[in-house]
Amino acid sequence: MTLPPKGDAESVPLNEQGQKAAQAWDPAKDEASGQQCKAYGAAAIVRRPGRMHITWQDDNTLKVEFDAGTQTRIFHFGAPEGKGGDWQGVSVANWDVPGTIMTRGSFGLQTFGPLDRGGALKVVTTKMKAGYLRKNGIPYSENAVMNEYFDRFDLPNGDSLLLVATEVTDPMYLSAPFWTSTHFKKQNDSTGWNPSSCSAK
Amino acid sequence: MKANSMKHGLEIVLFSAALLTQTNLFGQAASGERAPARPSPAIDLSGYWSPAVNEDALERGGGSEIGDYAGFAINEAGRLWALSYDPSRVTLKHHQCDGYVAPYQMRAVGNFRFWEDRDPHNMQLVAIHIWAQTTEGFRTIWMDGRPHPPAWAPHTYQGFSTGRFVGDALMVNTTHLKQGWLRRNGLPESDQATLLEFIVRHGDHLVDTTVVTDPVFLTEQEVRSDDYFRQPSDHGSWLYACDDGEQIIGRAPDVVPNYPLGAQPYAKEYSQRYKIPLLSGIAGAPSMYPEFAAKLATTTDAEAAALLKPAPGPSPVSRAVDPEPLDGEIHVWPISGNVYMLLGDGGNIVVETGDQGPFIVDSGSGQLTDKVIEAIHKLSDKPIQFIVNTSFLPDRTGGNVKLHAAGNDPSLVGSFFSLQFRDAGAGATIIAHQNVDTRMVEAKFPGPGLPTDTFLNDRRRKYHNGNAIEIFHEPNAITDGDTIVHFRQADVIAAGDIFNTTQFPFIDIKDGGSVQGEINALNDILNRTVFLHEGQGGTMIVPGHGYLADEHEVVEYRDMMVIVRDRVRAMIKNGATLEQVKAARVTADYDTRYGANTGPWTTDMFVEAVYTSLKQAAK
Repeated sequence: MTLPPKGDAESVPLNEQGQKAAQAWDPAKDEASGQQCKAYGAAAIVRRPGRMHITWQDDNTLKVEFDAGTQTRIFHFGAPEGKGGDWQGVSVANWDVPGTIMTRGSFGLQTFGPLDRGGALKVVTTKMKAGYLRKNGIPYSENAVMNEYFDRFDLPNGDSLLLVATEVTDPMYLSAPFWTSTHFKKQNDSTGWNPSSCSAK
Repeated sequence: MKANSMKHGLEIVLFSAALLTQTNLFGQAASGERAPARPSPAIDLSGYWSPAVNEDALERGGGSEIGDYAGFAINEAGRLWALSYDPSRVTLKHHQCDGYVAPYQMRAVGNFRFWEDRDPHNMQLVAIHIWAQTTEGFRTIWMDGRPHPPAWAPHTYQGFSTGRFVGDALMVNTTHLKQGWLRRNGLPESDQATLLEFIVRHGDHLVDTTVVTDPVFLTEQEVRSDDYFRQPSDHGSWLYACDDGEQIIGRAPDVVPNYPLGAQPYAKEYSQRYKIPLLSGIAGAPSMYPEFAAKLATTTDAEAAALLKPAPGPSPVSRAVDPEPLDGEIHVWPISGNVYMLLGDGGNIVVETGDQGPFIVDSGSGQLTDKVIEAIHKLSDKPIQFIVNTSFLPDRTGGNVKLHAAGNDPSLVGSFFSLQFRDAGAGATIIAHQNVDTRMVEAKFPGPGLPTDTFLNDRRRKYHNGNAIEIFHEPNAITDGDTIVHFRQADVIAAGDIFNTTQFPFIDIKDGGSVQGEINALNDILNRTVFLHEGQGGTMIVPGHGYLADEHEVVEYRDMMVIVRDRVRAMIKNGATLEQVKAARVTADYDTRYGANTGPWTTDMFVEAVYTSLKQAAK
């Protein structure tokens, strides 16, 4: 919510090139050049304070809208669609169900297959336009790849939480994967939904 | 298969993001669990795991700054507790080896090891264990369906955990936690907190989502998550050696570093350093939501500063669970060796058994004495031989008459006493400080229930049932006749009403109690305790009321007593009247834990006792 100071890359595994890029952050320049959405790209959008709205666009496509920066991500099940090169890139989704028992190299073991047990939504995103992991100019490049796992937890009191575990790898600016996990609470209605413009400041 | 035919948990929903650390969410109480439609198979979490500290590095490393409580739904008590906290408190001997409570433990840096415990006969999963390098946090998550212990069972840093697999997550429910940190900058988590966790594994990436419910310090649930990556081998460093020692030579034993309410000198340092509004760190629940940005823009620092001190008005009351059973039955809890705690008759009773007759500490309120006797007879087939009254108060002595009548003291029968007293040895011997007898006589207590063996010195001792038993007089604690009883072999101390986990100390000024005496008595208990490991376990303390404790609970209680004393003493020094002291709400950070506005011992009565005692001492 509060913009960190320039160069504050605490706990982000930036390499030397990444540190230089972070030091070159100039929000006014970003605004002037129409790049004010650099912190609202796929690799950072779930970290923006705000709400998201998940709907099925069709049988094979999830649409995830964010009021922060008025951004939309599209998760395709099956073959990737789109050319990318924009803030949200190209996302391929599949259900990650650990209930599947591996039988490779074994014999006499039962393959249970997917059980009625929930599981995570895994989303792999590539072809993102270069942006910021943090709003203060901590960079990721167009070569970054992001794996996300969406897990839903139902609490005994009826509330539901959504955990988004994120792994960003970027050979250009990161020396190691950047892992974060972000929480959302399910709302019953659109209270608070407040689409806003991107802001570099 | 079409993707949305496998929607799993993702439906058409609107999710609101948490702010700042992005790890804080809320909900209602998370107690109880719904039975799953069918059990999910186990997920292998075994192995070595290291935390991926790509966020919250300051909190998890050097520690957050005072005043940085953003994203936590703290109430007034939590905020003021944190603002009163002085980091120098960890220099106190009894805080040096404090462990981390489970929710905070999972955020600690250092490595983790998970392993399974399976029944060798049927390979059923019995438990999952977690060892955390930092503070040697050892967690056991019971997977065998066992129930949680009763409310009067001891609390530990890691609590009591049960788990089951739900979908692709291990869901863990933890109760019986000690007081500890939500954040290591003084932001407290109470001993009433419960923890719900969801642990998921995606390849070599593990995420633990923790949901803390704390009725004492939080207005909403605290949700955070921690990431771990899998290590291929043992890094070989798992211990966290700690022995306490003197950090400040010559410091008085009744010093507890703290800042007066409303006078935390560093309260604004965090906001000033980062050039952010003062409200950003201290707002509580609003700071978790996107709308908070607008609130920050419209709230001045002067307005926010009102949150740095107690709000005027009535004090809230305790939100803690009363662990004393009220079902009309006597419940027995084994403590150590041959020493037991009996609950249910309005005050805890301690029973020591062996080849001699039972040795009892306190007799309860007297409402259920027949059932107390029945419970004692189940523990021993011998008649009760000794009863110690730790004070003259009714919850300590109410069952004296019947317990006395139900026993006898064979050490007197046939002794020279029997030549002097025809009834020598008939009935259990009741031991107490002479002032207890004096007060009971003044109160016209029935003769058969009066102490029969009194003492005036500071120490009385007996060797009984294999225990060296020491009875120490604690002068002018809550009354002028208080004692504690130490069973040395079992390493159990019965503290009577000097210590309890349910209310502010009942300091009975008119019967000789005093603030300083109470502090001295609590410190005397602490002088006799030895923790087993990382500041917990070892010597067990039976409170007059409440759950079985160890030194950690006594330390927190002592700290509270000292802190309240310091505040009242400072106000008296500045000429404050009793009404001004009450209006200042000097117990504001403890009211949601111990406070009461009705009943026999209210917050106002406690504050008045502190004030009166300190005024008397100043004369």
